[in-house]
This record gives sequence, structure tokens and C-alpha cells, in this order.
Amino acid sequence: MKVITNLCQHQQFKRSLGEYRANLYRIAYSWCHNPALADDLVQDALTKALKNSSQLRDPKTLKAWLYRILSNCWRDHFRRSRDTLDVDDVVLTDKDTPDTCHDRQQIINQVRNAIAYLPMGQRQVITLVDLEGCSYIEVAQILEVPIGTVMSRLSRARKALKQRLLEAEIKGGSNVHHLRTAT
Amino acid sequence: MSDRRLSEEHLNAFIDGELDALEKNDVFKVLNNDNGLNQQACELRQLGELVRHAYEKPPEIEKYRKSDTSRGGTWRRAAAATLLLGLGTTLGWLGHQQSQPQVASDMSAMYWDEHNAFQNADLSLVTSAQHSKKIIVHLNTSSADSFEKALDTAEQLMETYADGDTGAEIEVVANASAVKMLRTSYSPYADRVRELQDRYLNLTFLACKDAMDHVRELEDLKTDVTLLPDVDVTPSALEHILNRLSEGWVYLNV
Repeated sequence: MKVITNLCQHQQFKRSLGEYRANLYRIAYSWCHNPALADDLVQDALTKALKNSSQLRDPKTLKAWLYRILSNCWRDHFRRSRDTLDVDDVVLTDKDTPDTCHDRQQIINQVRNAIAYLPMGQRQVITLVDLEGCSYIEVAQILEVPIGTVMSRLSRARKALKQRLLEAEIKGGSNVHHLRTAT
Repeated sequence: MSDRRLSEEHLNAFIDGELDALEKNDVFKVLNNDNGLNQQACELRQLGELVRHAYEKPPEIEKYRKSDTSRGGTWRRAAAATLLLGLGTTLGWLGHQQSQPQVASDMSAMYWDEHNAFQNADLSLVTSAQHSKKIIVHLNTSSADSFEKALDTAEQLMETYADGDTGAEIEVVANASAVKMLRTSYSPYADRVRELQDRYLNLTFLACKDAMDHVRELEDLKTDVTLLPDVDVTPSALEHILNRLSEGWVYLNV
């Protein structure tokens, strides 16, 4: 009976992990801007999560726990690849899509470029807060930094983003126009 | 709310729903009487919308991998890599000939080689050999001269490397007694730090938490040491530096 219960719990855990896959991929992509690498990072993170499922004490913290594993995978990737230049990283960017010239795509590219310009610490904080709706405490736990650092990184990231998007002179929707004309 | 740091970070916290009812009330009062701040709040909200919009549909991985294979990815990548290598070598050589960085040429930098062994070399040579414009400037004494030198160095490096280069990033890390130089009402360089932070958004100042705790203990303080606005805290400066070295950063001790 115990075996069956464990098996069910394991299946349930796997399903829960699967539900986060799209979110993890989105956040990984926002950090590295390389779809193949983002997918590899997510795969790596999910494998580690499955392997270490016993370390998750409170299921309510699954989201933060997964992002922390992803952040560690991203850091490990940096360490491993610092002496080698992955050809995939160089050649395969998603800038050359057929609809690059389309206004919507242009705005998207400009915002992504502005995000890519941020230092990694700031990039991680702003994407976790804005994309995944993480609270400051969650971000502090995920990135293992004090909450004050989260606040200052977020503040600087948004300031930099605003400056870069103003410089880029995004044209388009009313939102953007308002940004451009702001002082 | 009059303090600049409070105002910016507080406003962000307000936008992100991080304030309690009482604090929110205070911010609403300020917003009602300050059009500039009101507009700033709108802009922050719009920035959030833009970020969400930009990543609403990241590239579909299946489609991406498929299109890569169908285009004969391997040969294409190999050819592109060769081309890039050739181009890189040529440009690197030309760049090396024409524009060696003019700053800090006498400064000895340290980095980890491919075997994770420490190597010393001239800063400009390291940055071009490592292809890294990520530099960590370390300070561990409270000497005003040293701190001024660290600030000058950081400024020169930003001027040289940051212009139009998306990869340039500099961190000034203070531990031991150097933390004093990043403390509110202790540092004689508060304005200069602020000015540099405003000018270079990829320049970050960090204080060591271990050192801050030590100061707190020594001075028998009830609360944490207060740092200058926008100064980050790292749990351990040495660990942080080692992490950075392992990520390919170049290390400078001032």
C-alpha cells in the first residue's frame, strides 16, 4: 500500500513539475535569449528537481524552489562554458524571424535587447518579478541574496530599462508613446 | 519619502504590491500631491507591461530546433563559426594594433586560466585575451586614497569598455574596513558614488555582509549598518569574488 501511495505522490509531483515547464522556459529564455539553451536549462532543472524531490519540504514553495534550481543551472552553465564558445550561442539567435519588420516584433526585440543589456543580477530580478510575479521575498530566496539587494537591483534595472527604451525611441502603442515622451 | 533611495525603491515596492496598507496609504497621499511621481509610477507600470509583452510568446522550441535541422544546421554552423573565427581574429588583430585600452595599463590584473589557476597579467592584455569586459575591483582597506583610486579606476574602465559594448560590467566590492567607504554618513565619497551609479548603470557597488556584521558587533549597533543608496550586499565578498573568477571575470585589487 505504501508503495502505491509513494508512486501516486511521485506521479503527482511529476505532473506539478510539468505544469511549470512553460514558465521555466520563459524565464530561462529571458535570461539567456537562446531557445535551445533555455530548453536545455529547463530540462536540466527539471531532472534535478525530480532527483531531489525529497528536499522540497513544503509543496507550497515548489515555484520558488524550481526557480532556484534553474538559477543554479544557469550559473553552472556560465562556469562550464566560460572557456568555450558554443557555436549554438553565436549563430542561433531569434532575431531573423520573418516578421522582424513588423511593429509588434520590433517593440519586442527592443525590449528584449534592453533586457539583454542589463547585468545578469538585475536581469534575473526584473524577470522574476515582472514575468513570474514573484514577491521580493521569493526572489531573495531564489537568488540567495538579501531582500535589500533585490530592491536595489530592481530599481536600477527599471531605471536602466527606461533609459534604454527611451534611447531606442520605440514607436507604437499609446503606452510606448507615453514612455517616450516622459522626462 | 524625501530620501531619493526611499522614493525610488519604495515606489517600485508600491507598484509591485509589496507594501502594507499603511505604507500604501502614505504613498497614495504623496502621489496625489506630486505629478512627477505620479507619472513615474505610471511609467513603472508600463515598463512591467512591456517586459511581459516582450516575453509573452518566447520562441517555440520544437519549431526552433526543427528549422535549425532543416537548414543543414551542422554545416551552416561550422561555416559560420569558421567565418566568425576568421573575422574575429582579423578584427581582434586590427583592434589590437589600433586601439589598445589607454587606461590602467600599469595595473596588474588577475584571472583564472582554463585550469582554474591564478594568472597575473597586464589588465588590457587580460581583457583582450579573456574576451571579458567583466571586471571586479576589490577594496579591503578604509584608506580614502585607495577608495578614490578604486573609483577612478572604475570610472576609467567604464569609459573605456562600456561605450556601446553590451558585455561590459564592473563591480566594486568592499570588505573588511573598506565597508566604511560605502556607509551612509561615514563615506566622504557618497556624492561621487551616486554620480557614478547614475552615469553607469552597469557599475555596481557591493558591501560584504560578513564585514558589516563585524562592524555592527564592534560598534554594538542595534540595527544593520546603513549603506549608501543602491549599494548591494553580498553574503561574503571572498566567496563572491571566487564565484566571479569562476565565471571568467577579471580581478583587480586596488
